[in-house]
Amino acid sequence: MDDKKQNDDTELSLSRRGFLGASVATSVVGVAGATGVAGITGLSSAVMSREAFAKAAEDAVASAQVHPGELDEYYGFWSGGHSGEVRIVGVPSMRELMRIPVFNVESATGWGITDESKRIRGDSDKFLCGDAHHPHMSMVDGRYDGKYVFINDKLNTRVARIRCDIMKCDKILDVPNVQAIHGLRVQKVPHTKYIFCNAEFRIPQPNDGRDLNDPTKYFTMFNVIDAEKMEMAFQIIVDGNLDNTDADYTGRFAASTCYNSEEGVTLGETMRNERDWLVVFDIHASEQAVKAGEYQTIGDSKVPVLDGRKKQSSAFTRYIPVPKSPHGINTSPEGKYFIANGKLSPTVTIIAINKLADLFAGKIKERDCVVGEPELGLGPLHTAFDGRGNAYTTLFIDSQICKWDVEAAIRAYGGEKVNYIKQKLDVHYQPGHNHTTMGETRDADGKYLVSLCKFSKDRFLPTGPLRPENDQLIDISGDEMKLVHDGPTFAEPHDCMIVHRSKLKPSKLWTRDDPFFAETVAQAKRDGITLEKDNKVIRKGKKVSVYMTSVAPNFGTTEFTVKQGDEVTVIITNLDRIEDVTHGFAMTNHGVSMEIGPQATASVTFTAENAGVFWYYCHWFCHALHMEMRGRMLVEKA
Amino acid sequence: MFTKLAGIRFISLMNALFLSSALSGHLKADTSVAAHSASIDVTAGESLQRVIDDAEKNSILELVVGVYPGNILINKPLTLRCREGAELNGMGKGDIVTITGADVSIEGCRIINWGDDLTAMNAGVVIKKTASNAKIENNYFKGPTFGVFLDAAVDSKVYGNRIEGITSIRSQDRGNGIHLYASTGADIAFNEVWHTRDGIYIDTSNENTIRNNEFHHLRYGVHYMYSHHNSVLKNYTHDTRCGYALMQSKYLTVEGNRSERDQNYGILMNFITDSSIQNNHLSAVKQGTDPMGGQAIAGAEGKGLFLYNSLFNTVNNNTIKNSDIGIHLTAGSEENSIAGNSFINNKQQVKYVANRTQEWSNSGKGNFWSDYLGWDRNADGIGDVIYEPNDSVDKLLWHYPSAKLLMNSPAIEMLRWIQKEFPVLKSPGVMDSFPLMQMKNYEGANGVFDSRITATQKQPISVAGEVK
Repeated sequence: MDDKKQNDDTELSLSRRGFLGASVATSVVGVAGATGVAGITGLSSAVMSREAFAKAAEDAVASAQVHPGELDEYYGFWSGGHSGEVRIVGVPSMRELMRIPVFNVESATGWGITDESKRIRGDSDKFLCGDAHHPHMSMVDGRYDGKYVFINDKLNTRVARIRCDIMKCDKILDVPNVQAIHGLRVQKVPHTKYIFCNAEFRIPQPNDGRDLNDPTKYFTMFNVIDAEKMEMAFQIIVDGNLDNTDADYTGRFAASTCYNSEEGVTLGETMRNERDWLVVFDIHASEQAVKAGEYQTIGDSKVPVLDGRKKQSSAFTRYIPVPKSPHGINTSPEGKYFIANGKLSPTVTIIAINKLADLFAGKIKERDCVVGEPELGLGPLHTAFDGRGNAYTTLFIDSQICKWDVEAAIRAYGGEKVNYIKQKLDVHYQPGHNHTTMGETRDADGKYLVSLCKFSKDRFLPTGPLRPENDQLIDISGDEMKLVHDGPTFAEPHDCMIVHRSKLKPSKLWTRDDPFFAETVAQAKRDGITLEKDNKVIRKGKKVSVYMTSVAPNFGTTEFTVKQGDEVTVIITNLDRIEDVTHGFAMTNHGVSMEIGPQATASVTFTAENAGVFWYYCHWFCHALHMEMRGRMLVEKA
Repeated sequence: MFTKLAGIRFISLMNALFLSSALSGHLKADTSVAAHSASIDVTAGESLQRVIDDAEKNSILELVVGVYPGNILINKPLTLRCREGAELNGMGKGDIVTITGADVSIEGCRIINWGDDLTAMNAGVVIKKTASNAKIENNYFKGPTFGVFLDAAVDSKVYGNRIEGITSIRSQDRGNGIHLYASTGADIAFNEVWHTRDGIYIDTSNENTIRNNEFHHLRYGVHYMYSHHNSVLKNYTHDTRCGYALMQSKYLTVEGNRSERDQNYGILMNFITDSSIQNNHLSAVKQGTDPMGGQAIAGAEGKGLFLYNSLFNTVNNNTIKNSDIGIHLTAGSEENSIAGNSFINNKQQVKYVANRTQEWSNSGKGNFWSDYLGWDRNADGIGDVIYEPNDSVDKLLWHYPSAKLLMNSPAIEMLRWIQKEFPVLKSPGVMDSFPLMQMKNYEGANGVFDSRITATQKQPISVAGEVK
């Protein structure tokens, strides 16, 4: 479909937007149906006719709905929290389109089971879980480039990359020397050379059993990762801890919030200070320091470690005091401001990025970079932008979104009697991250806002003690925010990112030279196998490689024989060239399950522990004779 | 000097307080080491720190009229008593008095002009962890940041102080009048705080009592974060941007307080459980306004009581009147006992956003609703018709606030009429099966809603911890 045309259509329907939602429409229609028209026509002559009322309601429904067969305007990338995965959600329909397993083990696709995924998962493949918080897409000049999405794992201190052509995770990096990667962002300008990640928890260094209970020796670090190589570039030691992070639109600065300037280890100890801080990193100066060899290394790690603690008066860190236990940090899309969200202070702090050079040059003091500190409400956590000068901040305690005018807030800070708060909207319940369409890029378009609410309470049919989260969609295209959709989600989206569909060109099929399974292809070559046609069994002692093709509804090999105790690797190449004809390979009673996409090669290794007949079959539906797509593994007694 | 400062009302207060402190000093002298303490006159020309350092434990230093500049540290039991006209002046730098020793009292001083470094948490008086049983009494504070800062202090007493902020400083750049961090056993009574940022901020501090204080012209009167087993009794907030912000705390006793003309919330309860909210009087809670421009904020209606994710509380015998919204319950605020309250002339008596029905009465007694249209034929004081403060139409309005434009439209009238005629459309909500025909007598002789001043006149503060 022509994207531009679709956009124009969407705008047309936006402009017709009403103010009442689905349930109202239902009530009105239901009422009219149930009671007949006599009473209604009598009442309907004044302010708004019954027809106009019903029409307004209908329009509101239409605005939030993407009808069957229609496509969403945006891709949403949702983190799955401690489910360990990333999900693709269509916006505005809020339909879940795909799940991308990353730090979890996933049954349907065989993520964490196949040889290819185990290679990608690398050293930390042993971990069956993860905690994915912040998905962010690579950029060129502050605009999404549709290439990669990066995601952190707080639980096992990892960073992963998703390739947006195949929508699969292709790299996972174990970040050394630190614990609990939380905040993650990309360098926006000139392009995503680096990923910036915060390690949240302070630990002894090296963390090898020394200084166990001496928190004064603990510290944590800001981590800079080479996005293309997915390797560590360098690390920077900081005072305090690190929570969320964001980068600017010049490529020079990144900034991270710290909620534990006290360097405490208990809840109470972390709460004392009136102001914690935003630590600003000068990336250029950091690169120079690394280049000049002004670094150390920790333990066995070779990663250059810079010391950016206050007492070092480093050239590459500055600590700007902000109230109180700040959480989110968000760069405004025109590139002028960092906004630190107060959490335990009802304020957010606006920092002028164009003053940071002077701060680093020693010409001004830290708080001189603060150009606004509007009081918005209780528990500000995250701020999103519409590209029209408005900001939208989640208020966790008020359980509201506050819409406010950034420039007006700056004028108010200067003493001008100006109103900067435009509206507050209840959300349900306890909003954490929020995100606008394209809002973290120069292309912020101000159409929708998503509020990721931590509790759904009574918003959905009860599902036992464990409840879904509630991702609420809010229409921000007009002067007023309007809640248009409740979306239940499983544990636990922390953050999301909403990308216009024109930015992405996902593949229909795999290509045979895809690096995702290149290692398997190389292995086949060593075995003298042509994957696209051979169906052969290669034995090397107790190791058996079973090569086969698949074309719906057949596996190229319908039986193979191994010895009890053999280590069996099944390598399947899906020769179907038709979109959406994915095959599966499932070996009964062996815990073996995987996806083989069209034109992909996938492999899985297991031990044939017991003698006997074991059927394998295709479990991704592929054909009318899908049930017949099966074969036998004959395991001879040892 | 005090006369000029505070006027006659203050003088009468000071007299009452001096009297009571003299009394408590006398009691102490009978039973403790204080009996042997020496009283030393100090003049403004001397180095106060030097005098303190040289003084015996338990000395009483009497400061005569004059300005005592700089910052002092008291690290042993000692009483610093200012005579009229004695002033501790920080000369714009740091904390004026830092207390690290036990049993230190600061009495009757004018404490002004401490440092403005909010990041360093400058304060008039800082009471440190080692300083148990400090007593800060009858002082006047005026400064840019915190008035009295309890920094992990134990058993502090803060009585009868007047703490004033500086309005030329941005609200968010000021400190709180009284600030409790990780402190326990504090008794905070009969203080007046105004023009600071928050009146009192209680942060990870358990088992403290805040009673009979007056907090006004502030951001929040009482600001709570994660602090359990505290009592908030008979305080009076007015003209703040939230009277009582109680958050993420358990086992609170919030009784007999008054809120007048506060914005946004009279009492906000966010994740408050197992607490008693009784006999409070909340009136004229106003719509939140822009903190700078003053324009009313859409979606920030004034709520007498806001219960959010708050369960297992007793919310009885409160009066909530003349506010935008009487009570707003949401996020599963269920299993609270809500009875004996009077809801009087609130624009919207109840906003209840949930999908489950709640009964608001207790043992056959509900609440008083000024808009109740039922009757009481057997004259037992209980209305014969169930009161339901909200219906499907209200619910529609919470979900789609813009529909308010339609409020007077025939469509809405029609919905209400149909809902009555066809109960199948009725949404779950709040019902009071035993509405009271009479409101509680909230201005009764017992002085349930005493303000600080009237309470002080009636009740000398010689016995710490006692609340009438």
